[in-house]
Amino acid sequence: MDAIDCDLHCAPESYEALFPYLNDYWRQYITEAGIRLNGLPHAYPRGLGGTAPSTYDALSEHVPDFAILNCLTGFETHRNAYFAAAVASAINDWLREEFLARDSRLRASLVVSPLSTDDAVSEISRVGEDPQFVQVLLPVRSDVPWGNKNHHAMFAAARERGLQVALHAWGRAGLAPTPSGFTTTYMEDYLGNQPIAQAQVLSLVSEGVFERFPELHVIMTECGFAWLAPLLWRFDKDWKGVWREVPWVKRPPSEYVREHFRFTTAPAHLPSDPVAVDQLLEMMDGSGMLVYASDYPHEHGDGLPALLERLSDAQRRELLTGTAAELYGLSA
Amino acid sequence: MAHVDTQVVETITKRKVELVDCDVHAQATEAMLANYLSAPARRLLERYGRRTPRVTDWYPRARNAGMRVDAWPGKPGHIWGSDPETTRAQLLDEFGVDYAVLEVLSGQDCYDHPDFAAEWNSAVNQWQIEEWLSFDPRLRGTIAVPHEYPSLAVAEIERCAGDDRFVAVLLPASAAEQLGSPKYWPIYEAATAFGRPVAFHTGGYVDHRGPGYPSFYLEYHVGNGIVMQSQLASMVAGGMFDEIPGLRVVLTECGVAWAAALTWSLDSAWELMREDHARLPRRPSEYIRDHVWFTTQPIEEPDDPQHLLWAIEQARLGDRLLFATDYPHWDFDSPKQALPRALGAPLRRAIMCENALALYGLPAERAG
Repeated sequence: MDAIDCDLHCAPESYEALFPYLNDYWRQYITEAGIRLNGLPHAYPRGLGGTAPSTYDALSEHVPDFAILNCLTGFETHRNAYFAAAVASAINDWLREEFLARDSRLRASLVVSPLSTDDAVSEISRVGEDPQFVQVLLPVRSDVPWGNKNHHAMFAAARERGLQVALHAWGRAGLAPTPSGFTTTYMEDYLGNQPIAQAQVLSLVSEGVFERFPELHVIMTECGFAWLAPLLWRFDKDWKGVWREVPWVKRPPSEYVREHFRFTTAPAHLPSDPVAVDQLLEMMDGSGMLVYASDYPHEHGDGLPALLERLSDAQRRELLTGTAAELYGLSA
Repeated sequence: MAHVDTQVVETITKRKVELVDCDVHAQATEAMLANYLSAPARRLLERYGRRTPRVTDWYPRARNAGMRVDAWPGKPGHIWGSDPETTRAQLLDEFGVDYAVLEVLSGQDCYDHPDFAAEWNSAVNQWQIEEWLSFDPRLRGTIAVPHEYPSLAVAEIERCAGDDRFVAVLLPASAAEQLGSPKYWPIYEAATAFGRPVAFHTGGYVDHRGPGYPSFYLEYHVGNGIVMQSQLASMVAGGMFDEIPGLRVVLTECGVAWAAALTWSLDSAWELMREDHARLPRRPSEYIRDHVWFTTQPIEEPDDPQHLLWAIEQARLGDRLLFATDYPHWDFDSPKQALPRALGAPLRRAIMCENALALYGLPAERAG
């Protein structure tokens, strides 16, 4: 298939695999504390695809024209901001050596500590000039929503190097996985990414991020998209009522979202009625808002084929390659 | 001859119900409720105040405290929504409302001591009865309960349920646990046993677990719809609709158009991960279809009104939508303007009154 995969996963098998990129202090810290990588079993249970490939050999057959690697290992780094920064740097070095250097079709998300803007800016400065890093990866679950002004220096550092930002499902250990509290089923946690993603859309627009960074795009990854249109209808309505609170939001929120956000196609939670799929696409202003992602090795059901079936050839090409190529400056 | 006369009199004095407003806010001041408290509770209130932070302390309503400017009663001791005469003039008489369902949010906080929480909610209900339900026959009430203490909440439902003017039990949309938690099921069981739906109203102690605290009221307010999506997922996944087959819930002031997308995601996930929720025998969409109603305000307003109709059809909400104004809040939806013309007369009539009459068991004619 001709495609750009905007969400292909890889992850080191263990912290030991990152030891070449960590100093003595952190190697000792990891060893003595007995810290292990668990492969995010809460997010990716064995029943739905399990852990991501840890080597290029295991991954290479899953790469189409281009693929963007997302390594979520940093989502497991608990609450120690110093540790999070060290692991982020180690992962980026590991990504470069294990994957990016071996295959020109590969791109990667640059991982940063989600706990410190200073550290994120330093890491973007350290490796962000590498053209194989195309975006900064952040967990959709944050301590403070990503639009908050405390994060703007990170967006500035990303834009100085032409990087986009991806918010990926899951993240931040210790937080309740939903806006309404702790859960008792995986299904709720899994779907909990979608309301949280909606809150991040509100945050990024309301804080004026796109007025400040007019070239920034945010790729909502593994967060669904069927919820988008109704959210924007309400967002626009409320903005008309209380825009004085946020005078830097100069246009209806939906206009910023249509220009600056894109959504990956895994998961695609669609109605079974194809007419309703057409309506959904029309309501969200067309399939141009979507970019293809396999989310390999994770399973999300059979939404993607049902979606592609409703598109014209041109729309399908745009979704599979065109939109992402433009977003990331890739060309065949 | 006398028989015919009686019929004529009845025809003259009955009015066909056309408009039911399912979310009207009466708001009590602490001084008003203090009159209904025991001496120790009153002293506690006076000397120490209440424990739960008020959401307006960290998300100030951007203009006019979140209220309609013209709704200020201008009477000593009164605030927005505290004066029944103002509400009667500005809502009931102005728009010809046949029934208005009051939702008094003064008892929705969760971190008071149980003794106080129980008294406080009883006070809310007594105040409703004496100041409102007895004031105008068009008014209906909802039973405020100390929801974090379910046995006390059940006792309050038992105390109030004999009064037919209470048409539902009121809970907040955010609580210490997710609302699908078995912790709260005794409340739902009691409401159902007394033939009342449970109305969950946007608000409560919202602590934004998950994405972190937003900065603005705009985000908080749009976010009310997002929180309710999460709560509905919890209600479905937790199994309460299997446990309490007669349970009817009303999701209030959280929008309606997201229902279809949530249903698709729940059904898709349910298909994919069956072992995770083996106790849910039915598709999530079926539970939602059988057990869930939505009030309209603040109804989503797409640029193309047809899109709202699609959203209603996709979620099969035609007989599940209940019109609401949210008087006296700033985002009041006018009965004359809020719903798009494209709805068509039968659907409009269902939303404006028939669905509410059926849900709440209200008579389709009233003395007028």
